[in-house]
Amino acid sequence: MIWSLIILCGVITFLIRFIPLSGIFSSDLPLSVKHTFRYIPLAVLTPIIVNDLSIIENNNFFLIENFKLYAALISIIVSIIWNNVLATISIGMASFLILSNI
Amino acid sequence: MKKWQIFKQGVLQELPLQLGVFPFGIIYGVMAIESGLTFLQALLMSSIIFGGASQIAFVQLLSNSTPYGVIVTTVAAINSRHLLYSISMVEYLNKLSLSWRVTLAYLLTDEAYAVSIRKFINHSDNSILHYHLLGSGMTLFLSWQISTLFGVWLGNDLPEFLDLQFIIPLTFIAIIIPMIKSKSTLITVVSSGISVLIFKNLDINFWIILSGLTGILAGMASSRWDKKS
Repeated sequence: MIWSLIILCGVITFLIRFIPLSGIFSSDLPLSVKHTFRYIPLAVLTPIIVNDLSIIENNNFFLIENFKLYAALISIIVSIIWNNVLATISIGMASFLILSNI
Repeated sequence: MKKWQIFKQGVLQELPLQLGVFPFGIIYGVMAIESGLTFLQALLMSSIIFGGASQIAFVQLLSNSTPYGVIVTTVAAINSRHLLYSISMVEYLNKLSLSWRVTLAYLLTDEAYAVSIRKFINHSDNSILHYHLLGSGMTLFLSWQISTLFGVWLGNDLPEFLDLQFIIPLTFIAIIIPMIKSKSTLITVVSSGISVLIFKNLDINFWIILSGLTGILAGMASSRWDKKS
């Protein structure tokens, strides 16, 4: 039964990823629709970032001693200034490690 | 650029994220064994589902003797955001053969998408960009399988490296910040970021996709301001 459950979850996950690419959407989509697609990475990756910052813990806001939040804000500033992936990650990670060990 | 060069670029750009992915895979492996799955079930789930957060939710729910219907629904809810990823890839991948589309759809996960969509948007006139997604996706796939194997072997001897997972949101920050080039993109980020706090607080299962849709709608609604500016 567990195997069936794993396979069913695998099939559903694959279909979620494949259905739009199966050909049901034309590649000659109107420009306005293509323009809307540009919002997708921002709209989906932002919630993942916010979730990973643990701003909400057990239905309460966790802000004051949230070192991940501070480090993320520092990495946002670094990214705006330098637009460099490696600098953003390394300075963000270093900030987090320093803040959480002070 | 040649095909292998683009493939290599995908691999190299994906590699730093593995510092965050690898511990996550080990944690999954440990939790899977603790939940009662066999070695083979724990290991092969990483190939069959290939979706980190949903696999962890799966084994957590299984440990709590949750009804199977709830497990399936939860996995679908967590992975529903991949539908949006796939939709945004249509214009770049739709002309490929079926075998290519099947392979790339299978590899379309958060970390591979985040790295490759940036390349796709910035070089949309290149017809061999799919090799980039193949490179990033295969790197993630291998890392996920190997880290799962480590986790399954380690069992309860889980080392402390949870902090490394923070690399994943930092990488996503590095990817999305340069994409904010207009008022509507900024509004998309702010609205999806705020709505996730609301939806999570309400314990809504589909919080990722609902927040994503809120962001997209806010971006669309505010796009007219871009033309004025």
